[in-house]
Amino acid sequence: MEKELLFKEISDNVVEMEEDIVEELCEKSLEMGIDPTETINKGLIDGMDRVSVLYEDGEYFLPEVLTASYALNVGIDVLKPHIKQEESSKRVKVVIGVVEGDTHDIGKNLVKIMSESGGFEVYDLGRDVPLDEFVTVAEEKECDFICMSTLMTTTMPGMRTVIEKLNEKNIRDKYKVLIGGGPVSQKFADEIGADAYTVDAAACVKKMKELKGV
Amino acid sequence: MGPKERLKLIMDGKQADRPACICPGGMMNMVTAELMQVAGVWLPEAHSDARKMADLAKAVYDHGCFENVGVPFCMTVEAESMGAPVDMGSNVIEPRVIGYVMESVSEYEKLTVMQKPGRIPTVVEAIRMLKEELQGKVPVVGNLTGPISTAGSLMEPMIFYRELRKKNTDAHAFLQYVTDCLIEFGMAQIRAGADVIAISDPSGTGEILGPKYFEEFAVKYLNQMIEEFRAEGVGTIVHICGQMNPVYKQAAEIKSHVLSFDSMVPMQEAKANLPGRVLMGNVSTYALEFGSPEKVASLTKYCAENGSSILSPACGLGMKSPLKNVQAILEAVKWL
Repeated sequence: MEKELLFKEISDNVVEMEEDIVEELCEKSLEMGIDPTETINKGLIDGMDRVSVLYEDGEYFLPEVLTASYALNVGIDVLKPHIKQEESSKRVKVVIGVVEGDTHDIGKNLVKIMSESGGFEVYDLGRDVPLDEFVTVAEEKECDFICMSTLMTTTMPGMRTVIEKLNEKNIRDKYKVLIGGGPVSQKFADEIGADAYTVDAAACVKKMKELKGV
Repeated sequence: MGPKERLKLIMDGKQADRPACICPGGMMNMVTAELMQVAGVWLPEAHSDARKMADLAKAVYDHGCFENVGVPFCMTVEAESMGAPVDMGSNVIEPRVIGYVMESVSEYEKLTVMQKPGRIPTVVEAIRMLKEELQGKVPVVGNLTGPISTAGSLMEPMIFYRELRKKNTDAHAFLQYVTDCLIEFGMAQIRAGADVIAISDPSGTGEILGPKYFEEFAVKYLNQMIEEFRAEGVGTIVHICGQMNPVYKQAAEIKSHVLSFDSMVPMQEAKANLPGRVLMGNVSTYALEFGSPEKVASLTKYCAENGSSILSPACGLGMKSPLKNVQAILEAVKWL
């Protein structure tokens, strides 16, 4: 089979959420001696990019995105051991979490999945995250982005607090701060001095790529 | 016109003297720090003590917040009764599930052996007290967490959502079991005197599931519950979180008397997409916590003008919402 055809089939099967077929095809790519990095980029990630578009267009929803990302990860697990030492330090780093007091993490998980498949290195702090932790981990891991989410109006002020903490330490400019979640808006982002508000996971990844010029 | 009579008329789609003003309880929390102060009854104790639960619910009515009483004040009673461990929280943090019972939808049979009463008898007893002590004059609302949210409290939601597709048959069997348990709990609430059953399913929204799964998994099991409760003659409310745009058509199939929405859903839009339905909502809880009574009053008026006939907060109240803001909804409704 032609290399390009194989990539297309892998991509299609990520979109179709067929993890077993993705696994087989990735094994086949190794047998064919194709560079695993190329298979990841032109097959797996290409498929996930198409999933993002379908999600943006309202054709796919959370269950589809999760299933497709699972297929993507199955493929990556097959290929990863065969990749020669990668310079991972060059990757763009993101710290992400749901702010303190809130445990709604579906949207945050979606952003995490899409960022990872978009090639970002993601440090997931989980939900109900103490506000200091955003700053500490961003500093420690030398992140580029701080992403915060909440679904509750009552915990929104926590996002402002994180930005204030960055200001106090004079490190605000080191990071781009993105916020999202049901009650959050562009107006609120402007008010608290965040770099951007995005409406959903696909838009968030797009925005990060735009800000980083990737 | 008494509050119970008014709510009943509106729920049946008939004309009343003015709109109603309620806050069901459950996910739609109506307890605030200030209310606990004036009532002298505190969370988290009131989550597990029927007397305190009933007293705190009554305080909501007595202090002019809403024209109903409702219990419980959390959405963990159901999952707890199916075996999930729960942290009861504090006076400002709501109870939450802290561990999962199963790893896959295929393990649903495990649930039958994990079942225990938990706080179900507490809630049922509180309803009985409320019914008796308010002599049937104030509507008593029993609350249930919806099937998908309950399921998502028993196992990791990310796996659950994926298995809706990958293990479709088992996912249905799991949700059927959960739904049957919820119906049983709801029937016990009705036998104890609940006039209305309100179901909230924040994890089962159209925004999360998309139209196909919303219909297949949310609407189907919600309707099973509603059908049973309607047959008992009580009113039914379903609250749906998130944007409704992708799923208005499917939401129209939900057979409850009333549909309630988040503040991000414009009442006008909901009214236009759900002709003939009784709508409830949706005064911003952000305004209720951080705004002024005047702001709350004008939002209330705006919701009513745009099609809400049961005025209520759009979501659960923030614990620090000032009492005077909360009371401003009902004050404004009285002038409508």
